[in-house]
Amino acid sequence: MTLSGWFPVARSADLAPRHVFQTGLSGQEIALWRDRDGRANAWENRCPHRGVRLSIGANLGSELRCQYHGWRFASGTGQCVAIPAHPGQTPSERHRATVYRCTERFGLVWVSLADEAEDIPTLPGSIWLPLRGMFVEAPLVLVERHVMDSDEVRFFLQPVTDQQTVIHGLWIGSVGDPVALLRQQNDALTQLRNRIESEAA
Amino acid sequence: MTELTCEDRVALDEWHVVAALIGLPVEQEQTVRLLGCDIALRRGEDHHISARVAGSGRSLPVQTKFGHVWTSLGTPVRTLFAIPEYDEPDRRNVIAEMVPVHVSAPRAVENFLDLGHFAYVHGGYLGAEPHTEIKPYKVTVEQDEVIASGCKAYQPRASLIADQGFEVEYVYRVPHPYCAVLYKSSVLDETRQDVIALFVQPEDEDRITAHMLASVLDPTSSDQEIKDFQQLIFAQDKPILENQIPKLLPLNPRAELWAQADAGSAAYRRWLTARGVRFGTIPA
Repeated sequence: MTLSGWFPVARSADLAPRHVFQTGLSGQEIALWRDRDGRANAWENRCPHRGVRLSIGANLGSELRCQYHGWRFASGTGQCVAIPAHPGQTPSERHRATVYRCTERFGLVWVSLADEAEDIPTLPGSIWLPLRGMFVEAPLVLVERHVMDSDEVRFFLQPVTDQQTVIHGLWIGSVGDPVALLRQQNDALTQLRNRIESEAA
Repeated sequence: MTELTCEDRVALDEWHVVAALIGLPVEQEQTVRLLGCDIALRRGEDHHISARVAGSGRSLPVQTKFGHVWTSLGTPVRTLFAIPEYDEPDRRNVIAEMVPVHVSAPRAVENFLDLGHFAYVHGGYLGAEPHTEIKPYKVTVEQDEVIASGCKAYQPRASLIADQGFEVEYVYRVPHPYCAVLYKSSVLDETRQDVIALFVQPEDEDRITAHMLASVLDPTSSDQEIKDFQQLIFAQDKPILENQIPKLLPLNPRAELWAQADAGSAAYRRWLTARGVRFGTIPA
C-alpha cells in the first residue's frame, strides 16, 4: 500500500548543486537532486536498468547519470536520453526512472509517493527557518506522541521506514542570532531523540 | 537434522568454491560458509583436506581444482567444469583475490559478463569515453554453458602489461551458475588469450566471497603485480555490486530494463531459469 500525503524528505539546502541526496519514505529509497534550473527531482533510488542506486550517480545539471552503465535520465520526466552502449539509438519511452511528485515549501523538500495527495500544510507568517532534520530510530506513531508544536516551532515527520523517522522542525518565531538558535534547537531535538529512542528500545 | 536452510536442490548439488588452497592453514580448522551453512575445513599434515558440516559433523566431498578447494552440500550431479588453459606450461596462474561482497552470487556473475560498464566503472583501464558503443556479439548455449563471443571493447589498459589502448576481443563462458571464465586478447600473442576466472562462493543469498583466478601470458610481472591489477579492477566493481537493489537477481525478464548490449546477461538469466537455480535469485 502506498503511503498517501506529502512528507518532508530533506531541507532545500541539502540539495546542493551537482549533488545527489539519498533519503527514504515509507521504506522506499529516494534519490533527490536539483537540476541547474533549480528544480528538485525525487526519484526511486534505483536505475531501472540494473538496479544500481542513483544516489551514487552523477548530477550533470540537467540529467542524472547512472554510475554503472552511464545511462542518463532527464530532469523532470526521468526519461532515459542516452544509453552509451548504443549511441545511435533513441531510448524508448519505457526506459525511464521512476519519478515521484516533489515540491519545495518553507525551505523543505516535500514528496508524495501517491499520484493524488492533499495539499501541503500551510504555515502562518512568511518567515521560516528549517531546523536540522533529526533522525530517530523509532516508528512514526511513537515519535508523534512526543513531538509538540508551539507558537514558535512546527514539526513535520518523515516516516523513513517502519522503524525510522526524521523530525523536520520549522522555526516560525522571531530569530535573533540564527546560529545560536539552530544550535539550541538542535540540542533540544537531540534530547528529544534520546528520550524517544530509550522508550522505543 | 536442521543443518540446511537452503532448499535449492540445484545449488546444493553443485560443486562450490569455499577457499583458496594457498591460504588454507595446515592442522588448523577453518570455518567457511556455503549456501547458508557453516562448514569446517581442515587440511592435514599430509595436505589431505576434509570438510564437515559444522555442528552435525556430516562429512562432505572435497576436491581441489584451479588452486581452490571445492565442496558440495548435496550430491554433485555434474563434474566441475574444465579450464584447459590452466594447465598450459607458460601461463602464470595467480590466485588474484578473495573479496567478500554484500550481494548475491548471480549479480556478481552478471557484472563479470557485462561489457557496457567498462567506460564508467573501469574508466582509463578497461574502457573510456567516447569508446562506449557495444557492437552486437554472439550468444549461444553450448554443452550446457552460456557462451558470449565476438565481444569487442576498446581498452586503454587491458592488462598489466598493456602499454597502449587497443580493441580487445572477449569470449565469456558461464559453465556453472556461480562461476564464469573470460578469454581476452593477449598483448603478447595475438593467437592466444589471457584467461580470468571468477569463482563465486555463495555464502548466503545476499553475501558472497568472490575468488578470482588470473591465468595470463605475462613473463615479466610479479605475482603481486598481477594480483594488484586484478584487485584494482575488482575494487571498482565492488561498490557497484553493493549498491544494486534488490541484491538478489530478478529472473523475471520484465523486472529490469534491457539494452541490446545485455544479450549475455539475458541468456544467463534464461539459463539460470532453465536450470532451476533459486539461491540468490528472485524467481520469474
